[in-house]
Amino acid sequence: MKGWRGLAVGAAALAVAVSGCGTSTSGGGTETKEITVWLMDGSAAPTLTDALNKEFESANGIKVKYEVQKWTGIQEKLTTALASSTPPDVIELGNTQTASFADQGTLADLTADAGQFNSGEWLGGLKDSLTLNGKQYGVPFYAANRTVIYRTDLLQAAGVTTPPASRAEWIDAINKLKAANASNPDFQALYLPGQSWYFLLSLIWDEGGDIAKQDAGKWTGALDTPQAKAGFEAYKAIYEASATKKVPADIDEAKPQQMEVFGTGNVGMMVGLPWELGGAVKAKPDLADKTSAFPIPSKKAGSSAPVFLGGSNLAIPASSKNTDAAKKYLALLSSKKYQDMLAEGGAVPGTSKDTAKLATNAVGKALAASSPNGKVTPVTPKWAAVEAGQNPLKDALTAYLTGAKTLDQATKDASDAITKAMA
Amino acid sequence: MLKKSAANIAGLALALFFLFPTYWMITTALKPRGSTITSDYDLIPFSVTFTNFVTAWTKPGFLSSLGNSLIVTLTAVVAAIVIGITAAVAMSRFAFRGRKSFVLLMLVAQMAPFEALLIPMFLMMRDLQLYEHLSSLILVYFAVTLPFCAWTLRGFVNGIPVELEEAAMVDGCGRWKAFQKVTLPLLGPGLVATSVFAFITAWNEFLFAKVLIRSQDKETLPVWLSGFETAFGTDWGGAMAASVLFTVPALVFFLIVQRKMVAGVTAGAVKG
Amino acid sequence: MTAVKTTETAAPVGNIPPALPPAVTGGARKRRRRGGAFDRALPYLLLAPALIAILWLIGWPVVSVFVTSFQQLNLGELVRGEVVWTGFENYVTVLKDERFWEVSLRTVVFTVSVVVASVGMGLGIALLMRVLTPWVRIALQIAMLCAWAMPILASTTVYQWMFDQNYGILNKTLVQLGFDSFAGYSWFSSGTSTLSVVGLLIIWQAIPFLAFSLYAGLVGIPRDLYEAAGIDGATGWQTFRAVTWPEIRSLLMMVTFLSTLWDFKVFAQIWVFRGGGPNGESTTLPVLQYLEGIAKSHFGVAAAISVLMMVILGLITFQYLRKLLQTEEGKL
Repeated sequence: MKGWRGLAVGAAALAVAVSGCGTSTSGGGTETKEITVWLMDGSAAPTLTDALNKEFESANGIKVKYEVQKWTGIQEKLTTALASSTPPDVIELGNTQTASFADQGTLADLTADAGQFNSGEWLGGLKDSLTLNGKQYGVPFYAANRTVIYRTDLLQAAGVTTPPASRAEWIDAINKLKAANASNPDFQALYLPGQSWYFLLSLIWDEGGDIAKQDAGKWTGALDTPQAKAGFEAYKAIYEASATKKVPADIDEAKPQQMEVFGTGNVGMMVGLPWELGGAVKAKPDLADKTSAFPIPSKKAGSSAPVFLGGSNLAIPASSKNTDAAKKYLALLSSKKYQDMLAEGGAVPGTSKDTAKLATNAVGKALAASSPNGKVTPVTPKWAAVEAGQNPLKDALTAYLTGAKTLDQATKDASDAITKAMA
Repeated sequence: MLKKSAANIAGLALALFFLFPTYWMITTALKPRGSTITSDYDLIPFSVTFTNFVTAWTKPGFLSSLGNSLIVTLTAVVAAIVIGITAAVAMSRFAFRGRKSFVLLMLVAQMAPFEALLIPMFLMMRDLQLYEHLSSLILVYFAVTLPFCAWTLRGFVNGIPVELEEAAMVDGCGRWKAFQKVTLPLLGPGLVATSVFAFITAWNEFLFAKVLIRSQDKETLPVWLSGFETAFGTDWGGAMAASVLFTVPALVFFLIVQRKMVAGVTAGAVKG
Repeated sequence: MTAVKTTETAAPVGNIPPALPPAVTGGARKRRRRGGAFDRALPYLLLAPALIAILWLIGWPVVSVFVTSFQQLNLGELVRGEVVWTGFENYVTVLKDERFWEVSLRTVVFTVSVVVASVGMGLGIALLMRVLTPWVRIALQIAMLCAWAMPILASTTVYQWMFDQNYGILNKTLVQLGFDSFAGYSWFSSGTSTLSVVGLLIIWQAIPFLAFSLYAGLVGIPRDLYEAAGIDGATGWQTFRAVTWPEIRSLLMMVTFLSTLWDFKVFAQIWVFRGGGPNGESTTLPVLQYLEGIAKSHFGVAAAISVLMMVILGLITFQYLRKLLQTEEGKL
């Protein structure tokens, strides 16, 4: 065995020498020359990151290798990245993923340094998601929740003058919009892919249901309760109304990115995040003046539905060789200047309680109105296994919407899958 | 005669079946952006534009992943061919202890299901700190293609009469000279055929490229294209243009190789 | 003109079935047994690079996959560098999971269907090519070459577009032909349907290799054998049975064997279409291994799946592999 390893290492050394791609960054305890930072697509505007990276580079003399990652397949990518001996130095993790990575010991414990990161103003929901056994394994980055983003001009033309205040009114507005644009066969009154599971969560919570329940430390899926089933039924009703030529039932909002579709101009509304509107505006700049947003309406008139509090944390991989530089980077990002820029971009900042900047635009206002009603997926390291690879919630939606399974069957199968994944 | 024309009709229908996806890829790539996603029936394009190619070409990551694919594939194929020839010559031209077991080892090695070695390969590249370097992919593709190259080339070397080499050596050539002057030129067609297969294997590979490489500037083209929805959204025209550009190197390789093949075969025939 | 020639002679290019030497004559010449030390060392020196590469890059991973399959190896253990031996626990976990059996069965059925369909059609096209008018044959060969040269990820993308639910040309064509129920029909709503599309894609790309190889084999059958059969008044089927079949049988077995090896381990197409969905219904063993190992980072469990994958593949191909090794050993 030993001999083989020696041979392998020797040959590998040769290969490295030949191909000339030895590790260029970091070497043991030597001085850090470059750190690698991974943020997610749509998290922080380029104006923010450009300014941040520039300030960091000039203050510390350390180069920043900044890479933007896509959400699709991020779980696998993070796994392999964290397993490697030269991981990135700063990573962004979805709030639902953080506990699982922390639990496996792959993230650096930042409890002692929390003060540097403005811990007094951390956003509660995010703080919970990165805390495991009383220790903090990250820094809150930002939170955001979905609102209904709509085209003011089209709704106006269809005779919808005030934003819908209940689910029934909303479906009514969708139908009016559809009727007003009947001449365009490709028009989507509401762009709703069949697997928009974060939106499904809103509906399930609005009906009083939940994804899973905990009993004596054991989680079981709860999608087969009457309340959760009512959420599925509501989804179907909205999906059926959404367009004449509906979005396929077996795709989610990321493939293709719904903002791209919204940017074509053939869409009246979408359930989305502020940065998605930003993306659509980039594709079609005149949308900027013709869009607004309202909170996802509840079935009870006059109130808004609970929303999934999406968000991200920043973390340092345990095997990073540039921990000190990475901490400096996080400290800078946690400062008020950059947190304000985040709020301006339409997100609830993670390390600042000042959200004044958020309400400066319509989408931010809608978001701020519904975020107190924010909820999260079960806070446990085991949740990540549900989302990894094949998500039973998405499968249940597709099976139910296409008629491949009855509602009872689809929700039962999904519940069982969740119970199994969280066991 | 009736039978023959029935056969010809079947042959043409099959030709259509095989050609259609290529046709559809190219025509979609040539359609203006607004007219790809449409409910109109558009089997035949009426307006032609090359903007989709510009879009694909200038998409972030396209050029770098094309370059990475070329580097990885060509390096691995050249390495596999060079080392394959030396092994083939040894297996075919020499008698030595252990030859038989080595030949069988080659035969078995080329059947190794590489996909089943994903986990150990991943762990090994991680331990070697090669993870995230293109060299890890080069090593994997080299290993995948080497046994096949060595085995196939052995067959081609066997086909070249050893007397030719011996004659050259009698004429005063050294062993290396004799190999270089006599065997190597005759091996041309074999090298060509072998390298096409190796090229296609490496050019197509997806699983290892997905697992062993994580940063975008080191992605290969298959991985880049697999995420086309994020790059192109519903812009199928752009995605098809990228697919065309991805196909071109493989097709060019096929075509170049065929010319050489013809030349090699005729040269062999002339010399007898 | 040259194009004609090119395709015709090009047919065998790259079609050499990996395990089948194109020309097995010669064989090793036992000579220079009494050379100097260098001469005696020479073959070993020539072999050394290949041998080292194979042992290091194939041999070691094979050993390592067995070793890993007896360990608990999750992300945590990997990062901490711990070695936790758990005996057969990974195997028990995998074998007790009914999902594994479901996926294995699906993989075997999928592989067999794809292999049978592609080899059958490949043989059919090879036979057809013999009777075609030259220009039709060349058109067919060029078309097949296009299918064959298209990289897998490019063809997967093109198929996704053709089978697109709302704007795909297939649904649009079916609607034009009067099948209105195909408007907005989803080809990926069930595992069977998804795997059928994936299967079609694989068969479409596999046939050219099979047809070209088998055609090359058919062309090599001496004319006089057919003439003799013709004189005896044999029908087409009888001629096939008596003359063609015995001549191409071993070649057919070889390409069937190779197709089995290749189709069993298909990952890219299945993953890119629907990630093994919907509902995990198009998940095959390579996808399961990826999900367990890379997505869920249970490397030990994934290694156990890998080992079982090799066992299943071994069981399917065992008979042929044994025969092949015997024949090859005999030739040496």
